[in-house]
Amino acid sequence: MCGIVGYAGYQQAYPILLDGLKRLEYRGYDSAGIAIVGSDLKVEKDKGYIAHLESITEPVPGSLGIGHTRWATHGPPSKENAHPLLDCSGRIAVVHNGIIENHGELRDRLESKGHTFRSETDTETVVHLVESYYEGDLERAIRAVLHDLRGSYAIAVVHADEPDKVVAARHESPLVVGLGTDENFLASDIPAILKHTNRVVAVMDGEVVILMRNGVRITDFDGNPVTREAQRVTWTIEDAEKGGFEHFMLKEIFETPKAIHDTLLGRVAEPRMDSFLRDGFSGIKLVACGTSYHAALIGKYVLEEIARIPTTAELASEYRYSKAPADRPLVILISQSGETADTLGACREANRRGCKTFAIVNVVGSTLAREAQHTMYTRAGIEIGVAATKTFVAQIAGLYLLAVQIGLERGTLGVEEANRLKEDLRSLPRAVQAVLNAAPLIEALASKYAQARDVFFIGRHLGYPVAMEGALKLKEISYVHAEAYAAGELKHGPLALVGPETPVIAIATRDHTYEKIMSNIREVTARGARVVAIGTVGDKDLAKIVDDVVYVPEVRALFAPIPVSVVLQLFAYHVARLRGCSIDKPRNLAKSVTVE
Amino acid sequence: MKAIVLAAGEGARMGPFTASEPKVMIRVGNRPILEHVVRALAAEGIVDLVLVAGYRRERIMSYFQDGKAFGVKIEYIVQNKQLGTAHALLEASPKLGSPFVVLNGSNILDRQAISDLIAGEASPAVLIAESDQPEKYGVVLLADDRITRIVEKPRQPVGNLINTGAYLLDASILPVIERLVAAGRHDLPSAIENLSESQPVRAVRTKGVWSDALYPWDLLKLNGEVLKSVHEQKAGTIEKGVTIRGKVSIGEETVLRSGTYIQGPVAIGEGCEIGPHAVILAATSLGNNVHVGPFSLVDNSILMDDVDVGAGCTLQDTVAGMGAKLRAAVVAARGRASAQIEGEWHEVESVGGLIGEDAELGSGTVVESGTIVGARARIGANARLRGTIPNGGFVV
Repeated sequence: MCGIVGYAGYQQAYPILLDGLKRLEYRGYDSAGIAIVGSDLKVEKDKGYIAHLESITEPVPGSLGIGHTRWATHGPPSKENAHPLLDCSGRIAVVHNGIIENHGELRDRLESKGHTFRSETDTETVVHLVESYYEGDLERAIRAVLHDLRGSYAIAVVHADEPDKVVAARHESPLVVGLGTDENFLASDIPAILKHTNRVVAVMDGEVVILMRNGVRITDFDGNPVTREAQRVTWTIEDAEKGGFEHFMLKEIFETPKAIHDTLLGRVAEPRMDSFLRDGFSGIKLVACGTSYHAALIGKYVLEEIARIPTTAELASEYRYSKAPADRPLVILISQSGETADTLGACREANRRGCKTFAIVNVVGSTLAREAQHTMYTRAGIEIGVAATKTFVAQIAGLYLLAVQIGLERGTLGVEEANRLKEDLRSLPRAVQAVLNAAPLIEALASKYAQARDVFFIGRHLGYPVAMEGALKLKEISYVHAEAYAAGELKHGPLALVGPETPVIAIATRDHTYEKIMSNIREVTARGARVVAIGTVGDKDLAKIVDDVVYVPEVRALFAPIPVSVVLQLFAYHVARLRGCSIDKPRNLAKSVTVE
Repeated sequence: MKAIVLAAGEGARMGPFTASEPKVMIRVGNRPILEHVVRALAAEGIVDLVLVAGYRRERIMSYFQDGKAFGVKIEYIVQNKQLGTAHALLEASPKLGSPFVVLNGSNILDRQAISDLIAGEASPAVLIAESDQPEKYGVVLLADDRITRIVEKPRQPVGNLINTGAYLLDASILPVIERLVAAGRHDLPSAIENLSESQPVRAVRTKGVWSDALYPWDLLKLNGEVLKSVHEQKAGTIEKGVTIRGKVSIGEETVLRSGTYIQGPVAIGEGCEIGPHAVILAATSLGNNVHVGPFSLVDNSILMDDVDVGAGCTLQDTVAGMGAKLRAAVVAARGRASAQIEGEWHEVESVGGLIGEDAELGSGTVVESGTIVGARARIGANARLRGTIPNGGFVV
């Protein structure tokens, strides 16, 4: 998971490549590099952010080049492992996003032929392969290379002897082309080129791109030309500016009411009847990774309660490699970016198994949206902060809608009950707004607990996946060790870890498990733990037994995960800020995980 | 030319409508007051804005973001409460160039007013207006069209021309402000008055719109003002048997059910559900995601985002804040009233209910004219309300 860019045109490539890379930093940022073909091929790269690379290098003259921002998978972040990577002669440079699965055997083969490897990356095999096939025609050499590669990749290659072209190829990693006037662009994602052009062509799996100053040619791996119309992108880079907020994450948390409103818009008053959801399956399997997986776990309870259909939730990286059961469930895949490699793999596997596939995706036109048979878009808008916030909430809102639709379609939900559910759904943006209004209180709480080394989150029923998500947020942006437990499981082991040094965050909103969670809270306070409870407004009992309470508005118990999640997001944000963490770009993580 | 827009005030006199939002974010004609200001500036080609925010500034920032969606570029400055607007202006001055416009983000004005103010770029200038409540403002005393004095909130009548707080200024004001701030005075009018001693300060009157809401019921006047220029738009689903007269704007994904009657000017936001058989009369704004149940009348009122009105309600000259829930058969009819704001009594010609955000009114509640229902208040069924219910209050 990395970002790549390419440029062929009349301007200096150096600033264009660096600017493009900065807009891809969400994909990875532990090392960066560029290769520019001017009078000769010159490579500049180093470990660290792109701004660092910019500060240590002089502009390289030349108007054709490629660039890369890396998220290390094979080999640690270092200057040697940074892309672009060169062949033995130093005439060919390659950047790569993805994983070459058979790099081990390729490397053995190339080394036995006398090629010298200088990095630990899987990518370096590609450039030596190009060298071994090259007979004066880069395009032909790359086509030959592609037949040897297994895995996922978007690659871009330049050769010092062919200073007029960048050759690129895609297989299961994103790649787009931007069409300018007398200049053309290549990138892993649209924001990298949007400053220069809004005419974009999506490159599909199994295609090769020849990018030149005066034109772009796309072919399949065998060289047959592909024609595809350019699309006009209507949003702009400025959509992604921080607008007065200190961090994208905070800005995005404050956009949650609008994200919910937009996700529900037009789908509450007049649900679109959709026969796709009516029959052909007797159960549902929700498949996702990371935060989306937590939305899936919530979705399990929601679908079972509203649509009355047996539902399971599974991690995409597990589902892909498990055996197909005899019956064919409706497989619902959840991904913010729609490019998550494991979720995509799961979708392909589900399609192969003959299941109906339905995607819940935020990014319009993403690969998952194209590959699933049906797609519901969450309309949360662009999310830049690496920690998912508003998009997670929008996914849950989308699952409520989906459950109502499936229930209505299959006749398991009465119209009158659906009406009441819809009426309650409308109140969710306001419930989140009430949490946001209490942000100063949550900030004060965060400062009280920011120095804890370990934090436990407990919840029951829907509160359990919400606790898991709260713990994940704290881990990923605050670097605090955090674990979530089903509160009923505490006394089966984890209670041994609880003591005065381990704050416990308990989700104790009013529902049918309320009495039980109250006894669980007493279990941990008896061990001296300080407890922060998240409760329903008006609950006076809670404050008597815990140290601190954050109140959320009363909503239908099934909808409580939404306001409670926002509390936990704000808590994690403020802990991270107080601990001086790099909130929008946490270490070792990237926004969309396009490797497996 | 650049502009600095002051949006840091809380607006305590707006009662329950500023419980969680600054005054500039109150919706009239379905847009925050500040958006009307920003759009007027953009229409006059002033697109580089410095927004001075303070109270609940996240609400402003998450709505306007970097300004792109409104055709402007916004930079934010956070106002230090103790140091006032004058200090904020000093802080922003390196970004402003000269001359620059200073506006109050909580007053409605149109592009004509801005155009008159900046005509010929002859600074310094102050936009003045006639007011029937001059004692609430700074009254300007003139010699020809030059300002000689600004009398803040005069106890004895001295005139009815007021300082609107909209200025065209240049760098010459900055040393004056610095001097005053050093002496512990943090308001702009003092600086203007001070400046007028050393150079002529023009007083500009406009044929355009300048309008301020001092009290919650004034919002209805502002709403009527901005709805005069509502753009006709008919999106969403309009079922058979709906009657629409006059200028009406209907947002995306809104559903108007059968038998509904609408008399413009009316603005309806996105994702609303109206009717069947609802009556919406001029001049009314319904925000996004508003629900008006069957057989309800909404007449010359403002219902902000997410308001839910049940069946058989009557709402006249009524303002309901975001997320207010009115169950079946709630009545808030218009009438003459005395209302109390911050301890001060006011006679209001015609007003219905003033209902704060997220308040919940049970079925059959009667809201007497001029009643102020606090934000998040909970009112049981069949209550009869008068006076002021505090924020978060309960009535059984």
